[in-house]
Amino acid sequence: MNQNRDFYAGLVATAFFAIVLFILIPVYVKVPSFIPGFAPPPDMWPRVIAVLGLVMGVLALILAFPKSRKASGEKVTTLGFYLNRNKVFMTRFAILLVVFAAFVYGLPVIGFVPATVLLLGVLFLMTGNFDRRFWMLGLTLIFPVLLYLLFTEVNHTPFPEGTLFSSSLSNLTTLI
Amino acid sequence: MWNELLFAFQSVATLPNFLAMFAGIWGGVIIGAIPGMTGTMAVTLALPFTFYLPPVTSILLLVALYKGSTYGGSISAILIKTPGTASAACTVLDGYPLARSGKGGKALNMALVSSCIGDFVSNISLFFLAMPLAMFALRVGPPEFFMLMAFSLTIVASISGRSLVLGIIAACLGLLLATVGEDIYGSYRFALSEDMKSGLGMVPVLIGLFALPELIKMIVFRPEDNSEAMKLGDNRLTLSEFRGSLKSIFRGSLIGVILGAIPGIGPSTAAFFSYSEARRTSKNGDRFGEGEIEGIAASESANNGACGATMIPLLALGVPGDVITGVMLGAFMIHGLTPGPLLFQNNLGEVYSLFIGMLFSSVFLFIAGKLTASAFTKISRIPQTLLLPCILILCVYGIYSIGASPFDVTVLLVMGVVGFAMMLLNIPAAPFLIAFILGPMFEDNMRRSLAISRGDLGVFFQSWISWGFFALTILFIILTIRREWTKWRNKSRDAAQSAS
Repeated sequence: MNQNRDFYAGLVATAFFAIVLFILIPVYVKVPSFIPGFAPPPDMWPRVIAVLGLVMGVLALILAFPKSRKASGEKVTTLGFYLNRNKVFMTRFAILLVVFAAFVYGLPVIGFVPATVLLLGVLFLMTGNFDRRFWMLGLTLIFPVLLYLLFTEVNHTPFPEGTLFSSSLSNLTTLI
Repeated sequence: MWNELLFAFQSVATLPNFLAMFAGIWGGVIIGAIPGMTGTMAVTLALPFTFYLPPVTSILLLVALYKGSTYGGSISAILIKTPGTASAACTVLDGYPLARSGKGGKALNMALVSSCIGDFVSNISLFFLAMPLAMFALRVGPPEFFMLMAFSLTIVASISGRSLVLGIIAACLGLLLATVGEDIYGSYRFALSEDMKSGLGMVPVLIGLFALPELIKMIVFRPEDNSEAMKLGDNRLTLSEFRGSLKSIFRGSLIGVILGAIPGIGPSTAAFFSYSEARRTSKNGDRFGEGEIEGIAASESANNGACGATMIPLLALGVPGDVITGVMLGAFMIHGLTPGPLLFQNNLGEVYSLFIGMLFSSVFLFIAGKLTASAFTKISRIPQTLLLPCILILCVYGIYSIGASPFDVTVLLVMGVVGFAMMLLNIPAAPFLIAFILGPMFEDNMRRSLAISRGDLGVFFQSWISWGFFALTILFIILTIRREWTKWRNKSRDAAQSAS
């Protein structure tokens, strides 16, 4: 499968630039009814890039095809076999994507500091190396808080408190 | 001119600037010393912090990071046989054998001294060469700039690595992402959501692409870290050893300056070229690769010699010499400074301050290296399992602080995943970066020229400067095609021979 990387890169590039050229540009690049002077329309440049990318993707496929065929001839590595062999890696990658998505969607709800503490903790867990677990625990709790203090005190960045906690925090402030 | 230089000296010699330079040097050395972390990562990670600093202080911080990381790469190269940066790859050849024989401190000292000399020579050349080049470039308009940008984009060929086709694919991706948002005439492109109408921020895209894939790779594949650091041992660099290497240091510095000033070549090639020249001409040439201290002098003087020189095309023409100066181009633009000939006309004070500051940073590099050499050696032993997750959190805070926008954090994470996918598919990230930064300038100048000429393509060939850049672009493309053709023919011949 490793020998076929160029082939897959070509395949992904061809598919991506085809989608851009035939779907995204017609829908998401609006050409105004009036263009001042003789300026080229806004979709001209994206179209040029997408066509070039598409041509390069196809070229990568053509150049990689003999190598890919030779590699397949020497060793039978079907996509199913490859997926099965790399199940662990793909599971980790999928979990990481879920963690990133949860962070992005959870950030406005639970607030910036708790979200980053949780993210750091989960990332440490996902490294799978627990030789320095006390360092990991300490950093998880202290590092995001230190960064929060640095950015709020020095840069005056308004970090979101989170909809879950903001009302209780404001109640607490009123009480104080 | 002397009055302006004196004024620049006064404006640079302030505590905030000195602190920024020291922080940059130390930060750069720390990041450069950690295997897997590059100077590009150092400079991109620092970008969010520069928003709150004055322009000159910001650029000096980034330049100091660049220089520090280039030197820092030699620490892990010498002590754990793992070059912290690509440009320190040559230093491994003689540095590690010296460390094994208990002379790690001597090797580090030589790396520091030759790095500082190379850096100083490079800064002097920047001072004398950038201004005349910029004065010449003042005579260009949008059509000439379009041709210059076209020539600059041919740099993609030299930073594509193994495959030119994959390099061009990466560049197309960078050019395409640069079109997201509002164009110069107010039309929205690829605005899939309300946030995307203002385009993708340069900083989250760059940091996501360069800093995050290493973390994702570590989490997904969990590679074992078997590197073991050597002790410093014999620390003294004798006068006779220094004198014996002086010729290689100066030759390396000059090689660094010349190759660094040519866009697309950069410090790594300069280091290898200087090393091979030193090996060819030195009376100790046969000892190179077995622990010859002159080898370290040759490679380190050249890679640091290229650092200042890569700023020549950046400042004078607005053309980044390598990936790091590409990021710096972005930093200049963030601060409202546009590198190129107009910078010398509109912001001469800042340019002189930058020159003076860069000379200071050479001295600071020496002081920082001398004072904390033993502390820096511990850095290369920090486990990546602790370091990389903390870097992601630092990036998240830094990115959010730029515009208080959760969308920028999303872009950072998405670009990290895209960068990881590109890494898996062997698609190089460097052409993406150059195209993402140069793309908008290329398109704006093209559309402006065509608007001026009422759609007549002849506008691009009206001056001899345009013709000059056009000829250079064509020459570069022909040379690249020839090189690729030769590579492909040799490969086919080898394959045919092995089959028979």
